[in-house]
Amino acid sequence: MNDMRPLERIVDTETVKISARKCQVFYGDTHAIKDVDVDILDKTVTAFIGPSGCGKSTFLRCLNRMNDTIDVARVEGEIKIDDEDIYDTKVDPVQLRAKVGMVFQKPNPFPKSIYDNVAYGPKIHGLARNKAELDEIVEKALRRGAIWDEVKDRLSEPGTGLSGGQQQRLCIARAVATEPEVLLMDEPCSALDPIATAQVEELMDELRQSYSVVIVTHSMQQAARVSQRTAFFHLGYLVEYDETGTIFTNPKDPRTESYITGRIG
Amino acid sequence: MTDATASGAPAAAPAKKSSLHVLDERTKRRNAGEARFRLYGAVAVCLGVLALVGLLSSILYNGLSAFRQATLSIPVTITADEVETAEAALMKTGAYRTIIGNNLSAALADAGLDPAATGVDPIDLVSGEAPATLRNWVLTHPERIGEEVQLHVLANGRIDGYYKGRVTMQTAELDGNVSPEQLRFADEMRAAGLLTVGFNWGFLTLPDASENRPEAAGLGVAILGSAYMMLVVLFLALPIGVAASIYLEEFAAKNWFTDLIEVNISNLAAVPSIVFGILGLAIFINFAGLPQSAPIVGGLVLTLMTLPTIIIATRASLKAVPPSIRDAALGVGASKMQAVFHHVLPLAAPGILTGTIIGLAQALGETAPLLLIGMVAFVREYPAGPPEGLFDPASALPVQVYNWTQRADPAFVERASGAIIVLLIFLFLMNLLAIFLRRRFERRW
Repeated sequence: MNDMRPLERIVDTETVKISARKCQVFYGDTHAIKDVDVDILDKTVTAFIGPSGCGKSTFLRCLNRMNDTIDVARVEGEIKIDDEDIYDTKVDPVQLRAKVGMVFQKPNPFPKSIYDNVAYGPKIHGLARNKAELDEIVEKALRRGAIWDEVKDRLSEPGTGLSGGQQQRLCIARAVATEPEVLLMDEPCSALDPIATAQVEELMDELRQSYSVVIVTHSMQQAARVSQRTAFFHLGYLVEYDETGTIFTNPKDPRTESYITGRIG
Repeated sequence: MTDATASGAPAAAPAKKSSLHVLDERTKRRNAGEARFRLYGAVAVCLGVLALVGLLSSILYNGLSAFRQATLSIPVTITADEVETAEAALMKTGAYRTIIGNNLSAALADAGLDPAATGVDPIDLVSGEAPATLRNWVLTHPERIGEEVQLHVLANGRIDGYYKGRVTMQTAELDGNVSPEQLRFADEMRAAGLLTVGFNWGFLTLPDASENRPEAAGLGVAILGSAYMMLVVLFLALPIGVAASIYLEEFAAKNWFTDLIEVNISNLAAVPSIVFGILGLAIFINFAGLPQSAPIVGGLVLTLMTLPTIIIATRASLKAVPPSIRDAALGVGASKMQAVFHHVLPLAAPGILTGTIIGLAQALGETAPLLLIGMVAFVREYPAGPPEGLFDPASALPVQVYNWTQRADPAFVERASGAIIVLLIFLFLMNLLAIFLRRRFERRW
């Protein structure tokens, strides 16, 4: 457990990027998220941990309104990014998702070339005026995704031909190509081997310099390794939210302690 | 049940240790069951293959001869005077028949054959279609009147049948339309090179012909009519079907109303085709006043019939696109429509194309609704080029088959089987195209 050095983590900033108040999510009759209040900081990695089915992924998907695509899902309460309510009727979810990027549990590159995978977002948002600019954006994104050196000679090959870890880093590159302000990651390493996981985790720490990163993870070690702040979800409630060091060494709530020490979950 | 009895067996003989080299009762029974099942499967496949082989060989046996045709080639010299007299005559074709007869007799004399000695009038060996062939040639080539030209005319259906084994000396004895002497004389002409048997292009290009001229009957109008109908179906059913399925699958809210639509589309696919024919007759012809026997009406009716097939196939292939692709597109900020058109639709395209082609193939072979909208009419005129030609009367391949099987002359059995072969070739090519497109554009992830 050499990786577990939570006390060394320092929170650089106290600027609130995302704030949720009395957030509720219903799937039909099921009340999946209950009264969640949370302030997610800018330039910070925030980890959501908790047992399966506790609602951490559901809450994450509220932050870029991906729950809109599920017919039966209904969100109540207030979620603000930079003090703007994202569930306001004036908000177009498409614009929101350009600002709040997302990486999914299973690597899901488009069945197109590596280049087209990354270039797709900038293209539909009109971020590049010409081919040269687009090339530049793609290269920058692939470098940020820490995959440039591996794929620079085969940009026209299909993204689906890469290995699992490479695919996930390609998806991260695709997400950062649109210059988001927040990056949501839904268990990004659950399909990866330890080496690919280490690469993605290293990447998260770098991405923290520019973005607010929110990660859902099943692995407490991973939360401890990469995050500055951790939120513990249980049965749809946000039980405890604090600096990662405090959560892992000195949790206030007995449920958090039970989960961390392996008695529940 | 068998489990219970089998598990009881070892208890009866506890001392005996089981060997891997000796099969126990239960395994033996299970293996026998599996062998039996494989046998059933093989028998079922064999029966299916046998039925197919039987069907195909019967059609090929009856129909292949339709692609061969006995033709007479006669050197014809026709003068301007003869044309004038013939055109002035009341029975124009009768006059041209005399001209052909005279030229044929001259050609026979040149070849050293004497029809009079065998009691055969050589003009009887020529198809009733020949005078019209000559007249058409004269009207289209007025500048060549007076020259000697090689005129190719069809041989009479019985003579043609003789070279395909349908007419023999024995049947000719009993047949009032042909005599053994004529057949023998035809053999002499063939030996002299005046009569040849070759590939029958006329079968694919000529229009239908009357009851007593089977040798002149062709599929030209039917092929054109079928092609026009397929065009109408393709241009209407594909866009409407794909648009409807994309809307239903990707955009429409899931509620009782869309469920109702879905159930109705599935039901529509099972509606007997003749019902669509009645619908077409009532709506397109009686109400909308579109012409009868026209490919446009046939195409519209077949569009209605094909739509459910295309919608069901398209929805199935849209459903098969993994949701992670939609998530990925929405995740980088694509709108719903961009996600569908940039990512989902290209992945679903092979399935959609396959469904469409299968639907078209089904429509190509459909007969019943066309009978009701008058495509069964006897049509000798080629329809004009599209789009005007869509409103001209035409026939269709399956209807032509139906038409020919109803005629008395056995030569039409051969023609009908030949038409079935043509229809099957078209269907085969379309299915081949479907397989090719699916292989070519299928993408895995």
